[in-house]
Amino acid sequence: MIYEVTHRTVYDYAEAAAFSQHLLRLTPRETGDQRVLESRITVDPRPDALQPERDMFGNLAHAATVSRPHGRLEILAVSRVERQAPSQFIFEASSPWEDVRARATGAAAGPAPAEVAPFAFPTALTAASPAIEDWARACFAPGRPVLTAAAALSARIHAEFDYIPGATGADTLPAESFEARHGVCQDFAHVMLAALRAHRVPARYVSGYLRTIPPEGQPRLAGADASHAWVAVWDPVFDWVEFDPTNDLVPGEDHVTLAWGRDYADVSPVSGFVVGAGAQRLTVGVDVAPVPG
Amino acid sequence: MAEGARAAGGGKAEAALQGAAAYLPFAGRHDEGFDAAGRVRPHWARLAGWIDEAGPRAVEAAARELARLRDESGIAFTSRAAPLAPDAADPVPVVLSAADWAALELGLAQRARLAEAVIADIYGPRATLREGLIPPGLVFGSDAFAAHAAGWETPPARFTLVYEADVARGADGRWMILADRLDAPLGDGWLIANRIATSQALAEPFVDFGVRRLASHFARFQDLLDSITGWEGRLALLTGGEGDPRYFSHAYLARYLNATLVEPADLTVREGAAFLKTLDGLKKVDVLLRGVPDRRIDALHRPRSAAPGAPALTVAARGGGLVMGNAIGTAVMAYRALAPYAHVLCERLLGEPLMIADAPCLWLGDAAARAQVLDELPFWRIEPLTGGASPDRPPALPDDPAAPLTGERRDRLARDLERTGEAFAAVATPPLATSPVWSGGRLAPREWMMRAFANWTGEAWSVAPGGVAATVEPGCPPPALGFGKDVWVLPDPAAPAPDEPGSLLAARLAEGHLRRTGRDLLSRVADEVFWLGRNAERAESVLRILSVCLRRYLSGNRIDADPGALAELLAIHARGDDRPPSAARLRETMLRLACDPDEPEGLVPTLGALRSGAVRARMSISEESWRYIDRLSADPRWRAKLDFRASGEIARLIEDALRSLAAFAGSAQENLTRNFAWRFLEMGRRIERGTQIARVVSRIAGHQRAHEESFLRALLTYSDSASAYRTRYMMVPTPAAVMDLLILDETNPRALAFQLVQLEAVLALLPSDSPYRRPEHRRALALLTELRLIEADRLVATGPDGGGSARPALAALMARCRADLAEISDALARAYFAHAEAPVALVSQGRSGETR
Repeated sequence: MIYEVTHRTVYDYAEAAAFSQHLLRLTPRETGDQRVLESRITVDPRPDALQPERDMFGNLAHAATVSRPHGRLEILAVSRVERQAPSQFIFEASSPWEDVRARATGAAAGPAPAEVAPFAFPTALTAASPAIEDWARACFAPGRPVLTAAAALSARIHAEFDYIPGATGADTLPAESFEARHGVCQDFAHVMLAALRAHRVPARYVSGYLRTIPPEGQPRLAGADASHAWVAVWDPVFDWVEFDPTNDLVPGEDHVTLAWGRDYADVSPVSGFVVGAGAQRLTVGVDVAPVPG
Repeated sequence: MAEGARAAGGGKAEAALQGAAAYLPFAGRHDEGFDAAGRVRPHWARLAGWIDEAGPRAVEAAARELARLRDESGIAFTSRAAPLAPDAADPVPVVLSAADWAALELGLAQRARLAEAVIADIYGPRATLREGLIPPGLVFGSDAFAAHAAGWETPPARFTLVYEADVARGADGRWMILADRLDAPLGDGWLIANRIATSQALAEPFVDFGVRRLASHFARFQDLLDSITGWEGRLALLTGGEGDPRYFSHAYLARYLNATLVEPADLTVREGAAFLKTLDGLKKVDVLLRGVPDRRIDALHRPRSAAPGAPALTVAARGGGLVMGNAIGTAVMAYRALAPYAHVLCERLLGEPLMIADAPCLWLGDAAARAQVLDELPFWRIEPLTGGASPDRPPALPDDPAAPLTGERRDRLARDLERTGEAFAAVATPPLATSPVWSGGRLAPREWMMRAFANWTGEAWSVAPGGVAATVEPGCPPPALGFGKDVWVLPDPAAPAPDEPGSLLAARLAEGHLRRTGRDLLSRVADEVFWLGRNAERAESVLRILSVCLRRYLSGNRIDADPGALAELLAIHARGDDRPPSAARLRETMLRLACDPDEPEGLVPTLGALRSGAVRARMSISEESWRYIDRLSADPRWRAKLDFRASGEIARLIEDALRSLAAFAGSAQENLTRNFAWRFLEMGRRIERGTQIARVVSRIAGHQRAHEESFLRALLTYSDSASAYRTRYMMVPTPAAVMDLLILDETNPRALAFQLVQLEAVLALLPSDSPYRRPEHRRALALLTELRLIEADRLVATGPDGGGSARPALAALMARCRADLAEISDALARAYFAHAEAPVALVSQGRSGETR
């Protein structure tokens, strides 16, 4: 399946901003199941520089600097991505979670790849509270295969949490959304990561898009899609396996991967700062359109 | 006398031994000055001899002199509170022999090489992790690891240019590392200031012993910095600002190295390089010495912990346009992170055995270490692994660490450590070696440790011969760096001194000074200096009103001291008050203006603003100017409750304050070069004085009064123009003559016209982008011209629309003067201080996403 993904971010400022600097993580990355056919970012007004930087996780980010006065800033990222259905995994065949932990923390004989270890430890946005630990314990019975543990966590989040947009923010900690048992995809991913990393199981935060399929008989609404987030869990044999706790499914052809990191802070699509802008209004539109062919 | 004659024998050494006979080193503990039998060691003999010869009074005099010098340099650079180590009054330095120093120097240089190698590996190939030399949790388990500094195509040429360590000697005399200071160290300012003070207070023994100097060490570092920046390049030192506990050291070191002292918001990143925001526009910075921790310096890559206004320094460093000392990410090996695996890392990365071992340290990411620490807790202190800012989730430590840990409390700590152990270390300070200190009139042994300082010089590390030592309570962590005991390293009698003669160095440093001085005025500092000028004038105006009113109040003259008249004068600065004028109310209002912190235009807030502005602009005004401000604002008499019964006291206090302000003004005129800083100070001063004159004149002379002459005399006294008036007119004041003198006379420094002449002259000096005058300059010129075309008689004419007594022309002119001056002030702010405006974070991306 080939998609054209359009991600438009518009900032309207109360006053003319004198200077702004942005970090854009809007270029989809290549994966085993995903090819990037084309990707471009345009910033209006035209930036002084759009400096690419590859981060330690392999994502391609761009640092944009706009130094001319502007009352409005538009960032448009358009990508063509070919997405394949992922392989099927037998979760029961994965390693016991204790073995995964031992590998990731360097306690076992065979060290984990250096690319895995950064994802094994809690970060500020994925720190478990005692309540999350207690809640998660049931999923980590001794010797349980790591991927079944992860699948159980995903299922429980889906079953026990309410999806309420706007109730949480970009800085909401997992302890808070767990307490409230509600949030959006980012919160669910952070709670799941907190539970996994409390057990030092390597797991990463994946940012991307989800194609929405309109109800039978209704037209597809452009711009109705959204940026999305889910989780990938590491197993020594299967490598990284993805879980979408928001929808309790294994991401497939409808998911387009943008970037991954330890938590939202590593991969937030658009961040930065502005000088002299006064109040800001943010408008975001995402469109994931299948390309016929 | 031959070298060492005093030490080796003879009457004086005997005397030293006798004087120190009461000195009893702790049993089984190495002491720097005396051996186990209480005999003075050879390298200490001369100091012991000097102490004995000079006697207790000389030692105590030296201690007082030292305290005074420290206090002075503290005052010179900060808001007077340079931290003092507990035993700061003790002037006795720690003396180290050439052999002792050589071992320490080699070990510290090795340690610095090791830190560089480990950090470069962690952010580069990660061989240490791949090979399992260090566990991943040591690096990734705390937020000291800077992900945005890892995996660059072109890593920084070096991660470390500066390295500091807390070191001590164990009971057996062997050196040990207590802490590695890698994230924003820059404590060298204390080292230098301490040395300068000690070498003055103990000048005779310092020179006599041939103590090794620090200057050549810093000259080598300066050479390296010069080689990176090149002749035209710019060196800056990044500080957290006045609130930073290390600000003293930053300010001192910046001056010593001729670096521009900057705060995060003074920098901006454009096109892969870092720039200073100056009045002249953006100026490229080539080397940035980093005195601000890793996690605080980049608002783009670390928005959650960055300091307000921090730029995107990672972009500049990654683009190769900026060299940082130390680079972003060095915090990952700071404090105790290197300690648990230093031996293996040294063998593997440097191929040599570790020369100096660490004080006991366990990494709590390791399960066995956690179990051991829980069993032996009173022995261990649990501290953040990388020190500095505490991690997000500290473990709940037991309230009384000495009590045995049992039951639920033990379980809770165990659970906390399991949750966050990677970010913590258990450390212990074993019994340390002692050094003689001056205590209770004689020498006594105390446990000691020191901060040592190393700098990269291009091919090798140079360790400053000396250090800042502190005496410590047994088992405590290293104290925060501040003034402490000086550490004297004696020259090697067998080898020629490696230090260059001081005079040569002075010449080289002076060259550097000539090259860089006074070029950049940061926009932020221009802003501060401008307001320094305004606040000084504002304080003066309040003081003058108080002075006039107090004198009249005490004069008893029926007309001059009339409560109604005085209330009117006080109302120029005091908050509104509807009560009928009375003597009691006047006293209350005067006290309010003098010492109520909540009185908006009162002296307390005005002097407070004056002082904090002076602190922030400290590097741009002369030391003398700063001292006048400091003395004035810190005068304890303001803080004491003023008592009106001692009105003479109050009058004297006001006179003293006015004299300090005059001295400050004079000093600024005499001592500031006519650079940008002077211009902004001058503009602030002229704008404020002009505004105050306009305020006072319209208030007092805005309409005709019953006892006009009394009010006009008050006006002349306020303006310090009474004698000028008398010499000129020899008659009682008349409105037209007074207005001519106070408004139109361009030769009277207290006249409004004089302020405008000065202001216009300075505005004409500021750069303009176009061939035309800048708008604020045009405005000042127009106002000045208007004043020049007015006649005093017309100005004071009373008009019909104010009931006959109002002076509409005067009131209108004064109102316009105030409005225009305010507008000029705003225009200056827009044109020159706008760079100082701080960036704010963009609101976050909305996120959602599900298929239900």
